[in-house]
Amino acid sequence: MTPILRIENLHHTYAAANGAAVHALRGVNLTVAAGEYVTILGHNGSGKSTLAKHLNALLLPSQGDVWVKAWNTRERRHHRAIRAAVGMVFQTPDNQIVATIVEEDVAFGPENLGVPRAEMLRRVEDALAQVELTDYRHRAPHLLSGGQKQRVCIAGVLAMQPQVLVLDESTAMLDPQGRQEVLAVVRRLHREQGVTVVAITHFMHEALDADRVLVMDQGAIVLEGTPRALFRQTDRLRALHLDVPPITALAQQIHARLPAFPPDVLTLPELVDAVAHLTATPPLPAPPLPLPAAPAAQDAPPAIQVEHLAHDYMLGTPLAVRALHDVSLTVPTGGIVGILGHTGSGKSTVVQHLNGLLAAHGGRVVVLGRDLAAHGVDLRAVRRDVGLVFQFPEAQLFERFVGDDIAFGPRNLGLPREEVRARVRRAMTAVGLDFDEFKDRQTFALSGGQRRRVALAGVLALEPRVLVLDEPTAGLDPAARRQLLAHILALHGQGITLVLISHNMDELAALCDHLVVLAQGRTALDGPPTRVFADARALAAWGLELPAPTAALAALHDAGLLASAPPLYTVAQVADYLAQALASARPA
Amino acid sequence: MYNFDLLRNVTIGQYIPTGSVIHRLDPRAKIVGAALLILAISFNQSVVANLLFLGVVLVITALARIPFGYIWRGFLLGLPVLAVVFTMQLLFLGWADDGGQVYLTWGWLRFTRYSLHLIAISLIRITAFIFLTSLVTMTATTTELAHGVEQLLTPLRRFGVPSHELALIVTISLRFVPTLAEEVERIMKAQMSRGADLGGSYWRPDKTVRGLLPLLVPLFLGAFRRAEELVLAMEARGYVSGDSRTTYVQLRARPLDYLAVILAALLTILLIWSPFPALRALLAGVGIHGL
Repeated sequence: MTPILRIENLHHTYAAANGAAVHALRGVNLTVAAGEYVTILGHNGSGKSTLAKHLNALLLPSQGDVWVKAWNTRERRHHRAIRAAVGMVFQTPDNQIVATIVEEDVAFGPENLGVPRAEMLRRVEDALAQVELTDYRHRAPHLLSGGQKQRVCIAGVLAMQPQVLVLDESTAMLDPQGRQEVLAVVRRLHREQGVTVVAITHFMHEALDADRVLVMDQGAIVLEGTPRALFRQTDRLRALHLDVPPITALAQQIHARLPAFPPDVLTLPELVDAVAHLTATPPLPAPPLPLPAAPAAQDAPPAIQVEHLAHDYMLGTPLAVRALHDVSLTVPTGGIVGILGHTGSGKSTVVQHLNGLLAAHGGRVVVLGRDLAAHGVDLRAVRRDVGLVFQFPEAQLFERFVGDDIAFGPRNLGLPREEVRARVRRAMTAVGLDFDEFKDRQTFALSGGQRRRVALAGVLALEPRVLVLDEPTAGLDPAARRQLLAHILALHGQGITLVLISHNMDELAALCDHLVVLAQGRTALDGPPTRVFADARALAAWGLELPAPTAALAALHDAGLLASAPPLYTVAQVADYLAQALASARPA
Repeated sequence: MYNFDLLRNVTIGQYIPTGSVIHRLDPRAKIVGAALLILAISFNQSVVANLLFLGVVLVITALARIPFGYIWRGFLLGLPVLAVVFTMQLLFLGWADDGGQVYLTWGWLRFTRYSLHLIAISLIRITAFIFLTSLVTMTATTTELAHGVEQLLTPLRRFGVPSHELALIVTISLRFVPTLAEEVERIMKAQMSRGADLGGSYWRPDKTVRGLLPLLVPLFLGAFRRAEELVLAMEARGYVSGDSRTTYVQLRARPLDYLAVILAALLTILLIWSPFPALRALLAGVGIHGL
């Protein structure tokens, strides 16, 4: 094993905005062998991105040393060689692309290295082929999807022919499909080209590809091991604000109910094996059908009713495109409705109709009894009643102090001072931020998860009756994600009707009582989760996945171990069923 | 109701791909050709020559197969400029000494042979300017133009002209126009969802600025964050400015490009020196009287 990266006692200290010294790294030791695949996990602020930036001399040690091959990063004259050897892909694809044409962006690295033109043409060609974007070489980057853009960034790094690929949360901003695209490329480069990979992520299942997983906390490596060894330590991981992959979580729950079941199952095939091993006489019987929940008596009129909604972008220009063709959905008062669909299916366009930001070009939208197309409808009143929380809402914060930002909405309503104050207090309490502690804190000094909650409070302060959330947990680490979802559920408990857009099937499965699937600007499926998730084939055709527990049942059914794939979709339900079925079918 | 989505499609220079012979010209040929023609028309004092020139520009437009509607839009864009020039000249040129024959005097206004002549010329000239410059941006992508300018300026590097850096700045700005436009749209919608009234009153500019803070603060913060990340990403890809770089895009001039430049040069010479009295006009200080 020849080490390609060697880090000895690395410390990194920088001055924060307020002048205080921040110890981002405290004595990291790490050796990465050529051809290894290492994943680094850690919650936001654990120091993992700082570590990554040391790997190609973007940051220099405050103390300790970093060697790339034989070069110490402290020696400036090696920096070009180091950056050619260690390619780095960052989180936001938009902020890494320099050129206005894909192939020119890929050529940027080789240009910097002074690669002769003939060689450069070959490298660009090659790099684009590796990430399967050859057909897009003359496109403008802003017209590509997130996954494609990130692949352009990878191609840009590959054209420099690096031996190490560092991915600094490169999948965090992508939808599941984009994430798959990027991971597939990385996996292939590792296996076929022997590229050393250092991947930083907070998606636990992405760690399964690694030879070795490191967990960071407070600037130090606190856990290290193979994925299997690591994901046995559920409690330790939770304490570090992390989690285990969904299949492992399922296995552990089965194990809790049936001790003979192995708790350290990582992947679907392993789960199938484990079940097969414990089953003497397959197939296992189907569970007694759960009583269909009695539909709540629908006395109250629906909160939102969308009928045959159509919308065109760039209407009235030659560039007009129809984004929505025919969308119908009903949000019952007090319900939790999930809207799902791949990127470009029209989800975000639909929700912008719900508070009148966009006007319907066909069909109608009735919100809390008001037809939004009616003459003289008060859109400001509609926006007060329907709170819309955009994706990455922390980008909308603009006041210096937390309290002021949250007060922006109520102040726009022209409420008296005392009422504004009371509303800010209630909104902050609802998202778990203590009023007295946080109201005078600087907005921009908060952590990512806290800023997200401040933004949510900013909408809650309008005291809406319906809350629409677009990807509320995107980009958060597992702990912040769990916390935010808990607050959202509590809001529902207080009688707020919820509409949730998410790519995360497990999240939707756990929360929603009604799901709407959009595909190509039309309502494709509409019903309770049991019905929507029963149609696995249709979901796959629309580029969607099943929740992990449901996918597990489908896989077991395909393997002939289950008589049928029962319509269950939460971890607890599936664990109950499997544990019971296995216990009763065990050889006596 | 705002028309949000028009924001997102900000296009600078509106490239119109028709694949014509003009489009296929080397961007350098277009830049040099247009510069020559602008030079030619700037120094010409004859109405006939200016009309002839306008005719040439229209022929190029036809060759480029640019729809008439787009040219018309370009013209409308220039209309305010034309109106201002027209008014100023009407007011002041009539009273210039030695104005030739006086046709009409009416209060402040005096129409002389000389003033009418200059007004006609400047109107034709500005129209031709508008057509010519929009033709360049309509037939060449901004990226092509950036490369064209970069390569034209390369010989000046030894005199300290940072040709590559200038081109890179232009390219990066263009690259972020759609990204930031999207961000503006998103922030606007988010603040309006919080009851913001963006825009404010026309009569109270102080209120307008205040009203725009919820839009501008996040936009600038976002832009700074992007800039910071972009710098890191560029550094990670070994960015250095200077002569050790090689370039991916290489422009190759073909016979047609030379032909275009030669034609433009010939027309320039024709318009400036013969048979029109341009040289004399130049010496007489045209720059003061004309545009």
